[in-house]
Amino acid sequence: MYSHNGQDLFVIDGHTHLWDASPANWRNSYGEAWIKCFYSFHQGLSPAEAVWPFEKFCRYGMETLVQDLFVTGYVDMGILNSTYLYEFYHQGFNTHVQNHALKTAYPDRFILCGSFDPRAEEAGLEAFRKMAEVYPIQGLKLYTAEWRNGSRGWRLNDPWAYKYFELCQELGIKNMHVHKGPTVYPLSRDAFDVHDVDDAATDFPGLNFIVEHIGLPRLEDFCWIATQESNVYAGLSVAMAFVQRRPRYFAEILANLLFWLGPEKLCFGSDYAIWSPRWLIEQFMAFELPDDVKQEYGVDLTLETKRKILGENAARLYGIDIEAQRAKLRQDPIGVQLA
Amino acid sequence: MLRNDVLYEFPPGCDGALILERLAQVLDPELDESILQLGFIRSLHLHDGHATVALQLPTSWCAANFAYLMAEEIRRALLTVEQIQQVTVRLGDHFAAEAIETAVNAGRPFDEAFPGEGCESLDALRATFLRKGFTSRQARVLQELRTTGLSPGEICGLRVGDVSMHGATCLARTAVGEMVTVGSATTMERYLERRRELGLDCTPTAPLVIDLRGQPLSGDRLEAYYRAARTVRVSLEANGSFCRAVLAVRQDVPQDVHTVDERRA
Repeated sequence: MYSHNGQDLFVIDGHTHLWDASPANWRNSYGEAWIKCFYSFHQGLSPAEAVWPFEKFCRYGMETLVQDLFVTGYVDMGILNSTYLYEFYHQGFNTHVQNHALKTAYPDRFILCGSFDPRAEEAGLEAFRKMAEVYPIQGLKLYTAEWRNGSRGWRLNDPWAYKYFELCQELGIKNMHVHKGPTVYPLSRDAFDVHDVDDAATDFPGLNFIVEHIGLPRLEDFCWIATQESNVYAGLSVAMAFVQRRPRYFAEILANLLFWLGPEKLCFGSDYAIWSPRWLIEQFMAFELPDDVKQEYGVDLTLETKRKILGENAARLYGIDIEAQRAKLRQDPIGVQLA
Repeated sequence: MLRNDVLYEFPPGCDGALILERLAQVLDPELDESILQLGFIRSLHLHDGHATVALQLPTSWCAANFAYLMAEEIRRALLTVEQIQQVTVRLGDHFAAEAIETAVNAGRPFDEAFPGEGCESLDALRATFLRKGFTSRQARVLQELRTTGLSPGEICGLRVGDVSMHGATCLARTAVGEMVTVGSATTMERYLERRRELGLDCTPTAPLVIDLRGQPLSGDRLEAYYRAARTVRVSLEANGSFCRAVLAVRQDVPQDVHTVDERRA
């Protein structure tokens, strides 16, 4: 919860991870390169005082996460974006099984995402059904750049992906957090292409597609799609991190999103532990669009808009009644500690 | 443009400035910026007609296709210099360094660098990003034209021959024959340069504002067109800004809040 002039803003961090990228878990050099790449994002855009040592960044554990999100980071609830990367990490990077430990310890604080991989085809459908039975899965994180048995990725409009979306509808899993940001494959095409979101969003109007990292570096393609499709949302992680060191581009990115999508479809995310919510939220709350940007785009980042971005929009997607949820959170171990 | 932490080594009597000028022409196609300005060149040595260039990208996961395009362009640009007969590009810490270096340094195409990965030629990709670059550069021109107070109709009425560069400034002759400042010469030159590269008409009587098919715009279409174009610009520039921040970490270059790109913006 962030308090601003006596008003409380409910905060949902739409993009969090509890990963294990410690050297013991590296399957090969890709595992090492992967976490080092994340670490350079962390160093490149965090304020100096928020930069961690590399060892901590590789594996920080539940207590650190709880501290950074809820105790010092103003966050009320976090969405755990499970990612697997079994070809890089022996035990996976941050699977729903690993993340489930947090959900078990603090059930009201977390939304647990599972996932599917359409390349598992028929056999995967049964496994998916089982995952949804055993774990309290409320959303999915879809990571189309994942390597698997020589394949370098998949697309949301693959025929097998559609079978999984049909199953999601049947099981009532509505929110798809789709990673669309820096990826590497397919080699000879534009690997950052977001157009598969367009097809899936049109064909599954009952599902919501939260495009994590707003399709950066393809903001223009993302904005176009999100303008056409009413069930496409912007997950702001990565973009948020511009706020401190790249304020001009933060302003312009936000102005574009407000212009094309409007304030109801933007959801805050830190991408913890790449970046930490404390400084992101403090900077964001202090941030105002420069006058020339306001004038150029005809939009503004008002307190009302900030409130929607930080929590209300994600609450609506997950059917969370903010007042009822606040009452619950006051009673849980973290709420008691904070009181 | 040159950074003092980059190593250049040229034999006596060799025109280093010319070589760097050729190198400066090589762009990151995705960001539409010179790789020299982006800081991607770490060193360049020239001995006995053999140039060795160390290219360093912001992360070891930077896309292999764009990495190949840049490495290939470097080789091609340097081979246009009379004193250079051979070029070796080094990619350093990159997940596909070996495959890319081997192919590029032997002058072999991209699909041969990654056998079995189902690669096609990169021509279409290159073309897509040249076009995005056109739109982004044109968005800067339009932004400047709009702030001068010209109406959409007046902007669309301008011809290529109506604009001229005077030092760092770009002037335009309006319909009533008046000369007005319409922005920076660099912004206009970058736009016209890309327009020429794409084979679009740049003769003096051609309309100044055209779309990617070479068609002129009408005043009533300009606003919607501009709104889409500026998003392309923000996407490219913000991405470049992110890459710079990450690269600075790799190179241990201290960052200040107001980087070159921020000032330009």
